[in-house]
Amino acid sequence: MRIAANLIACSLTLASAYFLYAESTATRRLEAKIQAAELRREKLETDISVLRAERAHLARPARIEPAAKAMGMRLPATDDYIEFNRLLADGPAPSPQQAR
Amino acid sequence: MQTGSPTAATRHVRHVKRADSQSAPVLLIALVVALAFSAVAAQVLRFALFSRSTGQRANLAEPLVRAYARPDIVDRKGRLLATDLATHSLFADPTQIIDVDETSELIASILTDLDRAELRASLADRSRRFVWIKRQLGPAEAQSVHDLGLPGISFRTEPRRIYPQGRMAGHVLGHVSIDNRGMAGIERYVDETQGLESGFSADFSRPPITLTLDIGAQHALEEELSLAVAQFGAAGAAGVILDVNNGRVLAAASLPDLDPARPVESLLANRMDRLNTATYELGSVMKIFTVAMALEQGLATPGTILDVRVPLQVGRWTIRDIVQSGRPLTLREVLIQSSNIGVAQLALRAGAGRQRDFLSHAGLLNQIRLETGLLGQPRIPEKWGEIETATIAYGYGLAVSPMQFATAAASLVNGGTRVRPQLVATQGLLPANAEPAQSAAVESQRIVSEKTTAAMRDMLRRVVAQPNGTGRRADAPGFEVGGKTGTAEIAARGSYHAKSVVATFFAAFPMSAPRYVVLVSLFEPKPDAGDAAKRITAGVNAAPIAGRVIARTAALLGVPPK
Repeated sequence: MRIAANLIACSLTLASAYFLYAESTATRRLEAKIQAAELRREKLETDISVLRAERAHLARPARIEPAAKAMGMRLPATDDYIEFNRLLADGPAPSPQQAR
Repeated sequence: MQTGSPTAATRHVRHVKRADSQSAPVLLIALVVALAFSAVAAQVLRFALFSRSTGQRANLAEPLVRAYARPDIVDRKGRLLATDLATHSLFADPTQIIDVDETSELIASILTDLDRAELRASLADRSRRFVWIKRQLGPAEAQSVHDLGLPGISFRTEPRRIYPQGRMAGHVLGHVSIDNRGMAGIERYVDETQGLESGFSADFSRPPITLTLDIGAQHALEEELSLAVAQFGAAGAAGVILDVNNGRVLAAASLPDLDPARPVESLLANRMDRLNTATYELGSVMKIFTVAMALEQGLATPGTILDVRVPLQVGRWTIRDIVQSGRPLTLREVLIQSSNIGVAQLALRAGAGRQRDFLSHAGLLNQIRLETGLLGQPRIPEKWGEIETATIAYGYGLAVSPMQFATAAASLVNGGTRVRPQLVATQGLLPANAEPAQSAAVESQRIVSEKTTAAMRDMLRRVVAQPNGTGRRADAPGFEVGGKTGTAEIAARGSYHAKSVVATFFAAFPMSAPRYVVLVSLFEPKPDAGDAAKRITAGVNAAPIAGRVIARTAALLGVPPK
């Protein structure tokens, strides 16, 4: 009887140890996963920051303006503007056939 | 005799039976232990064989001391002006270094800008556990040092302030220290009003600081000023575009400019902020206040005739006009032709007290604050007598910063109400108890009446539109530009130097309903190489720049040509 009790106690101890070990390992695995995810998030956020900075640098007026001029673009002149009210009063623009 | 006692064989059998009965539990325990170890081994094998490798490693060089993360700074349309990027900084734990000589030599061979002797001394100091080697390394440098695999050498991630637009708006943005703390300009303002977040994290939920600047207008202003500095060989230039109705600064520049990524430049004497912190006598642009004062106080109307044919004697001083008109002028013509005698007469008619009160009320005599700091303290005469009254009328004797002048002058064309300059449009995480002085950009305080401001608009438009106006070169067709020139000799060693001037043009557009003012100042311009008359007046240098700035920026600012 005493031997059986010892055996049961021993088995329970081992089972508990095993259970705790397994839980601890699972926790560490989860922690590692979270840490990896956080690292990945930080890396992605850094990448986004770099891309935003690069985009802003590439879109700076000092770069865009000469490129636009080289493409034949220019500042809008007085004739390029038409008032909306005047457009309504004049009616729709004539089609090419009507213009002919 | 043998029947009474067990034989040796019997004793042996009993002994074997007892041994069998004792070894059974031991075997069982051994079996259980073996099973347990097998289970553990199986578990270990399971993790080894079937767990997925993440390919990631925890950063063992966890920061000991964290730097500060800052919010982004964007322009009024959300375009990025400043942001944080992660960089690697190199540090050492001298107690973990095995070979100091080898370590210092290897590192110095990669980071060639380091002082080898100093580096070796730092690494040899085993009383310390943390020694910076170099902060904010470039990616290639960091990788090279990492590849050395030296014990006791580690990296920490730090935020580094990046300015994607380069030198643009350098004086406005200011700069940060190596720890990412704001030291000047808007960067300092951020620290003062919002505080900092310890540690590096690209916190996308943190709202950016939105400035009132428009980088398109800023670029146009800076470029035109740079071209003018080159053309006229000027020592510097300053310019601002201001919304007349709410004081929002759309563009602000001071040349020579500053690179916000190179804080050391701010220590150079010629890189001072000429727009905000320096003060100047601005010359004839000040006449607009004298004329407005005369109109407001009923001393004159635009048609009032003033005799400017002979020089004006004030005490032992004689006030003359640069261009003699040879006939009496109306008040309107006094402004158009920029007559010193005419405005001096008006100021003397008002008297020193009323002039001082008016200029104070207009906001020219008291130091004002912008988000980047206090503007330059106006320099006013200690004794405000008759001669000071006369000279201040045409811009000598009172020195203010160009920004303060532009802000005060906006009141003369916007309907007559005071505005305060404002650089920050929204403040993301402003503490509830903060009381920013700039939150109410528009003040209801009236400076001049609607009638006076209407008359001023008409006269300023004529200064530019009429063929004999001093500001005719500022005209930008379709935008109804109005304005006033001012050329002030620079005082030095007790006298004025005729060849060393500050040339300023104050402009507003469109004058039928002004929306923006533009102020351009050139410091110590030389005559244009193609100008046979060798003129250095604002009408030939500052006025055309203002006109070009308006032509380039009006569309960006939502003002269509008419």
